[in-house]
Amino acid sequence: MKIRAIKYVRASVAAMMLISASSCGTDFLSPEPDSAISATGFYKTEDQVLNAVLNMYDGIQGVNALSQTDADLNHAIQVEYYVTEMRSDNTKTKSGEGEAAQFENQTVVPTNGIVYDYYRSFYDVINRANTVLEHLDVVSDTNRPKFEGEAKFVRAYANFNLVRLFGDIPLADKVIGVNDREKQFTRVPKAQVYDLIISDLKTAVATLDNAYKNRASKAAAETLLAKVYLTLGTNYVDAQKLLENVMNEGFSLQSNFNDVFYKENNNEIIFAIGFLDNPATESQGFSAEWLNSVGRSSGVNYVTDDAAAALDALGGNRTATSYRVDPALPSKKQVAKYFPNGENGGPTGVVFKSNPRAAGNDWIVLRYADVLLMHVEAIMAGGDSTMVPAALNSFQQIRNRAGLTTPVTKITKQMLLDERRVEFAFENQRLFDLIRFNKAEEVMKAYSDANGYSFSSTDLFLPIPQREINLSHGLMKQNPGY
Amino acid sequence: MKFIKQINKGLRYSAVCLFMLGISGLVLSSCDPSLDVYKFDLPEAGSVPDKTPPSADFSASKVEGDWQSFKFSNLSSSATKYSWDFGDGSKATDTDVTHKFAQEGSYTVTLTASDNLNVTSTHSAVIEVVKPAVPVAILPVINEAGFEPGSTACGSAADGRDCWRNSDLGGVIQTTASPVFEGKQAAKFPTTSDRIGYQELKVTPNTNYVLSYYYVLKTSPQGSLTVSVLPGGGYTNLNTALSSAIASFVGTDQSNANQYVKVNIPFNSGANNMVSILITNKNVEGRVDAFSISF
Repeated sequence: MKIRAIKYVRASVAAMMLISASSCGTDFLSPEPDSAISATGFYKTEDQVLNAVLNMYDGIQGVNALSQTDADLNHAIQVEYYVTEMRSDNTKTKSGEGEAAQFENQTVVPTNGIVYDYYRSFYDVINRANTVLEHLDVVSDTNRPKFEGEAKFVRAYANFNLVRLFGDIPLADKVIGVNDREKQFTRVPKAQVYDLIISDLKTAVATLDNAYKNRASKAAAETLLAKVYLTLGTNYVDAQKLLENVMNEGFSLQSNFNDVFYKENNNEIIFAIGFLDNPATESQGFSAEWLNSVGRSSGVNYVTDDAAAALDALGGNRTATSYRVDPALPSKKQVAKYFPNGENGGPTGVVFKSNPRAAGNDWIVLRYADVLLMHVEAIMAGGDSTMVPAALNSFQQIRNRAGLTTPVTKITKQMLLDERRVEFAFENQRLFDLIRFNKAEEVMKAYSDANGYSFSSTDLFLPIPQREINLSHGLMKQNPGY
Repeated sequence: MKFIKQINKGLRYSAVCLFMLGISGLVLSSCDPSLDVYKFDLPEAGSVPDKTPPSADFSASKVEGDWQSFKFSNLSSSATKYSWDFGDGSKATDTDVTHKFAQEGSYTVTLTASDNLNVTSTHSAVIEVVKPAVPVAILPVINEAGFEPGSTACGSAADGRDCWRNSDLGGVIQTTASPVFEGKQAAKFPTTSDRIGYQELKVTPNTNYVLSYYYVLKTSPQGSLTVSVLPGGGYTNLNTALSSAIASFVGTDQSNANQYVKVNIPFNSGANNMVSILITNKNVEGRVDAFSISF
């Protein structure tokens, strides 16, 4: 008897709790935390959208591993050299070990963490750009076109690198929701990605001015759009026109090649990713990685003998600024364009006054020399050579600045490719130049055979990161060869 | 005691039974492959079909500067051996190959990719080997170059003026039969200076051309007749047009109202697939005739 009564009491208490719970409504059980801010409903003023604009460039800067050591953070531009220069005949690791050595060996695997880092970093940058585009309604009429132009430039810049590196990629033309699996994992044909890139850059050209060098500008958009056309091998005349516009916008070559890299925001710079040596959160760590055990690695982006030979033969006065012998290991060579805060480490290469791992050197994306050499490429229009005076003039300016003043009367494709190699060595251009000039397979196969690497043409595209393939549950297909 | 003994016996019996069951279970299970016991055994070689048979694929591209050679990039997956057949009698076994075809023609190139189980997959593509014609720069045709009647190239009036119209820039030219440089007619620009001549020409970019024509002016009042070469086309504003000229000539010779003077305007087409000719005059009556263009 006693037992039965207790059973009933338990049941009725339970029933009462249920009733009371349901009658209070869902708010009571799941209140919004007052301190939390979510993107939906955050952007209400122009200043907040300006922050979103600046946030895009912050995303491109990436995190310096010095200040935040978590490997899962986005390092963005600070790891770009791994997936570009180190996959070409220009640079490699110092000791041939570790995940980084997969790039020079042409044995990149889909689980490579650096590849994943770059991929997610720049999809994050695209997301930041799409966030700006989604909140233009609260921006004033004066600034709205400019913010739109900046966001579209950044989105196009990120997409251009991703499509050249990975091939067909997911197309993020708006902020992608967590549940939008179609958009996240459908690899869209390259041609469609290029359509968005071209449309975005055209908007940027129309709406921007040349007020900034560390933010998007009209000249940057014109230069990048010309590079897109040259990459596609179409619209050569349009590319030439764009470049001729930039040639009238007040930029000039630095007479001293060294100043290009060590005089911040000089008149040759069109677009550079800005860094500061202080605070450390605004600094970059790649300058240190390119030295001998100064950064976290033992030394990466070391100069190949092949690149050094090209510079010795054709570089003129650019060679001394481009590479040097490692003072601590004279059989190896280091990049000399980005010594941290201008300090080369002294006779031992490891003595610094400032913190070499917190470098303020800006990363140059586009400079006027590129405009001049692309001008030659546009006039060549896919042919084997040119003698057009306008092309000879642009080419000669680059040669003269390098101290190579003998007049050039005819420019062949090979001459232009070689000139680009010694002008832009270690500026993350070599791999793209080889591919664009249709020389990548021939040159990389010869270089790979000579050095015992295992290059094959499927290595020209990176693998889609394995984590993305896994998360897609079968929606995403991997690139051939991986 | 008896009770315990009985228990022990029971235990003994059950132990033996279990043992017997165990043995028979083993025996039984070794004959029946569907039993759960086997899920941890390794499958025999060849018992599980290969889920990733080879898949052959390749892309072909021309070698720059050599119309006979093509680069073949191997895009196959899950294969260890490759065999190329170029359709011209030759073969190769490298992964990526470059092949030079001896003659023009249409060749079916086949790649056979196989794996170590000797499963094969093939992919073929037709390669067109064509000896390229040497590209010649475009020499544009100037319609109604001498303002002669009879051409319906640009309109039904056939009066030698339709190819030179642009009503956004100005009124249509007049024509005159005297003096002319050659033929029946020349274009006339009256003192009101409100008539223009305009024509768009297709050109090759970055190419040197020379535009030639003949003009004559009345001896008074003082004035000029200008011919301008404009980059591109589609002009609708006269001031914009005049200020964007890449080359021009201002003719001011008023020494003889009956003697045409020849003018050559050299220009480089630059970053343009098209240029436009624009004729305008100021203050004095003028005539132009016999336009031509050469390299």
